[in-house]
Amino acid sequence: CTSEIDDLKPINQETSVSVFDNPDSYKSFLAKIYAGISISGQQGPAGNPDLAGLDEGFSNYLRLYWKLQELTTDEAVIGWNDGTIKDLHYQNWTPGNEFIRTMYDRILYQIGLVNEFLRQTSDDNLNERGVDASLREDIQTFRAEARFMRALSYYHALDFYRNIPFTTEADPIGAFLPKQTNAQDLFTYIESELIAIDSELVPAGLNEYGRADQAAGWMLLSKLYLNAEVYLGTGNGRYADARIQAEKVINSNVFSLEPNYEYLFLADNDLSNEIIFPILFDGLYTQAYGGMTFLVHAPVGGSMSPSDFGVSGGWAGVRTTSAFVQKFPGMENSADGRELFYAAGQTLEIENISKFTDGYAIAKYKNVDRSGSAGSDPSGEFPDTDFPLFRLAEAYLIYAEASLPSRGGGGDANTARDYINLLRVRAYGDTSGNISTSDLTEDFILDERARELYWECHRRTDLVRFGKFTTNSIWPWKGNVPGGTTTEAFRNIFPIPTSDLSANPNLKQNPGY
Amino acid sequence: TVTEQSTAIPLPGVNILIKGTATGTATDFDGKYQISLKNGDIVVFSFVGYNPVEITYTGQSTLNVGLTENTAQLNEVVIIGYGSTTVKDATGSLDRIDSEEFNKGAIVSPENLLAGKSAGVRITSSSGSPGAGAEIRIRNGGSLSANNSPLIVVDGIPLSGGSLNAINPNEIESYTILKDASATAIYGSRATAGVVIITTKKGKSKAPFNVEYDVQASTGQIIDKIDVLSASQLRKYVIDNREDPSFLGNANTDWQDEIYKHAEGGIHNLTLTKGFENGSIRVNYNLSNQNGVLKTSQYRRNAINLNLENRFLDDHLKVNVTSKGSLVDNRFANEGAIGSALFFDPTQPVEGNWGGYFEFEDADGVANLAPRNPVSLLMLRDNRQRAKRNISNIVLDYKFHFLPELRLNVNAGFDYEEYDGRFFTNKNAGFNNLNDGQFADIGTYDGINKNKLLDFYLNYKKNFDGSLLSGIDMTAGHTYQRFYNISYSRNRNTSTGIYDVPLPSIPFELILESYFARANFTLDSKYIFTATYRRDISSRFSKDNRNADFPSAAFSWLASDEDFLKDSSVISNLKLRLSWGITGQQEIGGAFPYLGVYSRGDIRSQYQFGSEFIPTIRPEGYNEDIKWEESTMYNAGVDYGLFNDKITGTLDFYYRKNKDLLQYSQVPGGSNLENFLDQNVGETVSRGIEIGINATPVKTKDFSWDVSANFTVSDVEITKLTLTDDPNFPGQPIGGIAGGVGNTIQINALNAEPESFYVYKQVVDAGGAPLEGVYVDLNGDNIINDSDKYRFQSGTPDAFFGFTSSMNYKNLDFNFTLRGSLGNYMYNNFRSANGYGQAILNQIGDYYGNGSVDAIKTGFINNQQFSDLYVENASFMKLDNISLGYTIPFEKITLRASLIGQNLFTITNYTGLDPEISSGIDNNVYPKPRIFSLGLNFNFK
Repeated sequence: CTSEIDDLKPINQETSVSVFDNPDSYKSFLAKIYAGISISGQQGPAGNPDLAGLDEGFSNYLRLYWKLQELTTDEAVIGWNDGTIKDLHYQNWTPGNEFIRTMYDRILYQIGLVNEFLRQTSDDNLNERGVDASLREDIQTFRAEARFMRALSYYHALDFYRNIPFTTEADPIGAFLPKQTNAQDLFTYIESELIAIDSELVPAGLNEYGRADQAAGWMLLSKLYLNAEVYLGTGNGRYADARIQAEKVINSNVFSLEPNYEYLFLADNDLSNEIIFPILFDGLYTQAYGGMTFLVHAPVGGSMSPSDFGVSGGWAGVRTTSAFVQKFPGMENSADGRELFYAAGQTLEIENISKFTDGYAIAKYKNVDRSGSAGSDPSGEFPDTDFPLFRLAEAYLIYAEASLPSRGGGGDANTARDYINLLRVRAYGDTSGNISTSDLTEDFILDERARELYWECHRRTDLVRFGKFTTNSIWPWKGNVPGGTTTEAFRNIFPIPTSDLSANPNLKQNPGY
Repeated sequence: TVTEQSTAIPLPGVNILIKGTATGTATDFDGKYQISLKNGDIVVFSFVGYNPVEITYTGQSTLNVGLTENTAQLNEVVIIGYGSTTVKDATGSLDRIDSEEFNKGAIVSPENLLAGKSAGVRITSSSGSPGAGAEIRIRNGGSLSANNSPLIVVDGIPLSGGSLNAINPNEIESYTILKDASATAIYGSRATAGVVIITTKKGKSKAPFNVEYDVQASTGQIIDKIDVLSASQLRKYVIDNREDPSFLGNANTDWQDEIYKHAEGGIHNLTLTKGFENGSIRVNYNLSNQNGVLKTSQYRRNAINLNLENRFLDDHLKVNVTSKGSLVDNRFANEGAIGSALFFDPTQPVEGNWGGYFEFEDADGVANLAPRNPVSLLMLRDNRQRAKRNISNIVLDYKFHFLPELRLNVNAGFDYEEYDGRFFTNKNAGFNNLNDGQFADIGTYDGINKNKLLDFYLNYKKNFDGSLLSGIDMTAGHTYQRFYNISYSRNRNTSTGIYDVPLPSIPFELILESYFARANFTLDSKYIFTATYRRDISSRFSKDNRNADFPSAAFSWLASDEDFLKDSSVISNLKLRLSWGITGQQEIGGAFPYLGVYSRGDIRSQYQFGSEFIPTIRPEGYNEDIKWEESTMYNAGVDYGLFNDKITGTLDFYYRKNKDLLQYSQVPGGSNLENFLDQNVGETVSRGIEIGINATPVKTKDFSWDVSANFTVSDVEITKLTLTDDPNFPGQPIGGIAGGVGNTIQINALNAEPESFYVYKQVVDAGGAPLEGVYVDLNGDNIINDSDKYRFQSGTPDAFFGFTSSMNYKNLDFNFTLRGSLGNYMYNNFRSANGYGQAILNQIGDYYGNGSVDAIKTGFINNQQFSDLYVENASFMKLDNISLGYTIPFEKITLRASLIGQNLFTITNYTGLDPEISSGIDNNVYPKPRIFSLGLNFNFK
């Protein structure tokens, strides 16, 4: 009988040995790595989550990333009562905050997925399985893309937490305690990975839609360099490198500005030639309660009509503060076409964060196409809209910022001005909003980035880089007071969750927490 | 004639033996017997449960004997794991509860028979829904994520969890509850949370053909309603808050009245029994029909129980076949209606445009995020399930011819269940018409649960008169059990209107194989030693961790048999017990937690590469090192009888330590492929005192009064939670609540009770009124955030008690059971999630909600769900059960009529409906009804 126990094996479930008997499994695993950012598990929209400890919809990578980058800033508030969610805007979070904790878990999960993919596709394993030459060639590209995705998550980890447990494909699974890394080592690692895979990634613009190519690598490297001074300390800036990588993207001539700004955020934004690296969603086949489902539904409420957004109903959660509205001259009536405020029935100032009609709404992400038709899901729940993680406009803004004399990244001021004016011509519909080189200041760049890239997961990183996230600026309800108050600088990075500190004795808490 | 002394009813089947010989006979159906005797013969009359009588024959032609019931029940047989013992010889802490002691009334679920009957055992009904089961906790359990429910063994078959409803309560002869490790360790890896052994009724040999018909008709209704704003209160509230009254309707609807109803039920039992010379047969048919108090909920059970017993080979071989078949039909009400009834605007009418029911509308049709009409939720959804189950086994018990003290017992059985269900939504239902293109929500589900068992053991039992070693009882055996569950579901995709092709179902399979032994030695008839040992092998763990050993030892001393107590007029029985043992726990998670597997994604979780959608695969996390949770328990107890056993009882102390707790907890970030896994980490310590007292204050010919009471004090503490026990780690949040997605109100924290509430300390004004949003800054950093939460009480009681009284006056009987609990707290989730202004007024469209009257009382505008204001003391005392019965002995028939009330009143300060909810969180629980029933029992002779 004992042998019967020994012989008991899972049924209808594959092990790592059997699953790769099917050559499609390599691509399916790679798809999982990409899907790791957009959806939350193996059953759409929910039911078989990747992560535990928080509601599945909340545990979605993009949704958490967005919340940590936007709700903590002047660009967004949320009205719900979900645990500690309001602490993000109040900037009084603790190491127990479940959103900060789950973002951390999600990032490490994503890195773990890539590590496993790289272990499974090692030469030894491929030899053992007798994988044929043409598939091996594909797998080499897959591996480069997987490493790009790992670098992306490590970049998020560096930006959010700095000192996180560090693992690669050289580590095992299970009974070990990962060692904590630091900003310098992590920075160096991400940089070296992105440089190493550059030649293995598909040339810019030539990969299948949704998959990373060289330009995605350049953009990530550029963003890493742009923030180097934040990560590595004053005087350690890498602005010239940031500019060089941005120029590679611009000069590849693969991407072009989308003539209509609003088209970047619609259900058919896959048609846009501006998006360098999107996170994909589909109303029928890529469903989740995080990601774009959140970004389309949550900002709809009050007198807004859900059908204008191609969805069956709004979630009445997310709005913005007056501090952000005021970045646009003329506010809700600004000549700057990037202003997509919805002010009818909404107040500019927020008296009660829980009340949707307090604060202007923003009508940016929609599940309708350019002709106004709703996306493919007839129930109006899940959008087709893709999330533009990297797009050409940002490359222009990086070039312009790196070229500022105070940044010292080289570059040409006139080119910088021209790049910015490309964005402003699109925004204004004519040259009336154009700037001159003398307008190119740090404050202008910070505000212009907000106007161009708001609600696209940039704001917190930008504010930190410009020294205005905690100590030097206020906005409504920052610090949990209506008018806003400054907070302590240690909050420029997030804490290591206490849950991991208690599980891994190798870890030390970030200073201040 | 041999009769029962107090009632003069003839006793059939009494053994009559001439002492010192093998000559004997037994009484017939009328208690009569014949035997040839010579002068000086000593005749012994013995019968199970009665005191034996010895009479010396002196030439009488008739010997009429009245046997008295053995009130001390010391010789009563108690079924234990893999064998039986007597109350007198038992060394462990165990409790036998017979059918006469069960709770009475229209009881559908076997668990509820036991509520309040045994110290250390807590039974909490999970809901008032018809056929709902109950949670059983023996000594609280001590596990965090692993199963805290006891192992249930029915006629020798350990069940694999799930509902006990396949067992007809009417057919249960007795429960044996094994509490300490000495008693449970023979069940090894499944015994940490205690063991409940259920023995069903069997026929008696040499008994006449008997027909019994029992019918109970019941009616139930909800006891109380939750205080929500009435239509006029809501109108006033809207105007007082300067909101737009035009959103209100003109109706005055009490939604709770609309969703609840009187619920009727009927339970029928027809039992046929017949005894033969060498065996017996018993057949029972049961039909239980129970409507729920929530409209559309319904439960029906058809069950047949069959028991055959026969003895062969001069009684050396006993064969017993038991088969329990049941067909359970459930219609599950949409319980979302319970919460919706509290939250739905009372100024709106019931009827309207959506399948006949009112719903809130906006420009696009039904308002998407509005509350749903509670009546529509019930009436326009139909969810039915049928479960077919059979539990059968055959037991062969052979006394060896050459050595009758040696027995071989073989038990082979299975538990097989098939269920299938379907749900259907009316296409016009408002809750189904969120968008024009949406299809009705329709689906089916089905599955199989099976479990097969084979065990055998050898038992050698011999008493030696006069020697120092006065008795030995040794058992050794082997058991094998294999479990298999699978479930399938198919749902229509409401977007596309076609059924999604489901992924292949993954069955759950588990094999448990064990070797066990028990030795019991009695020295000088007073000192009893027991040792048990079990080795378990489980397929759940990797080869390295698959085997585990579970030993136990116990000692008991029959002090009352010592010379210095033998003649005591006060102490009639005194037994001291000491025990120690190790048990295990393995009930957690999936079938292969140690193995790395890959999961396929479904059609809706694909990712697009180019124009193609690629299905995904996901490597699952695993824990190669996972093993048994281990529990060590010490027990000291006393069994006593005073004043000729007019008062009897037990007193037990226990201490239990669970280590290597199986916890579903955070893994070190980056070390695995999941963030939470089942892991062996942590320790808990449990302690308790259990007191049981039975007394017979009055016993005369016509009137007798028995009372029994039990009282338990217990606690559990987490003594180690994580790998490092970082002092800054507040603990594992648990206990999800309504009022925000993903919110939790409880925590498992170091040096605290499991599931402690984790809340802010509310600040009140001089008049004691709570101040909105003002909490004590417990860590003094001038910021109120989750670092200022503290642990405050838990849902688990500090103490609980039960009290049962039974009176008999001639043919009249009167029983009641009181039950109570002290120091249990409850988070009133309805108050917290619906007791503030915004919950009622701040809606996403042009409508209002409704809420708790608390909104007016506190004046709160915003959600304050983490305030300790909502953690209420829920100590209670309940009159669970009261019955009045009258027995009329006609010539050919005995009729018993009874009137029974259940759940009659509850004394508590808790402001919600029911202070007894096992999770400690009161959120839209199906209310437990008050039930009155009339029972008639016909016994045809």
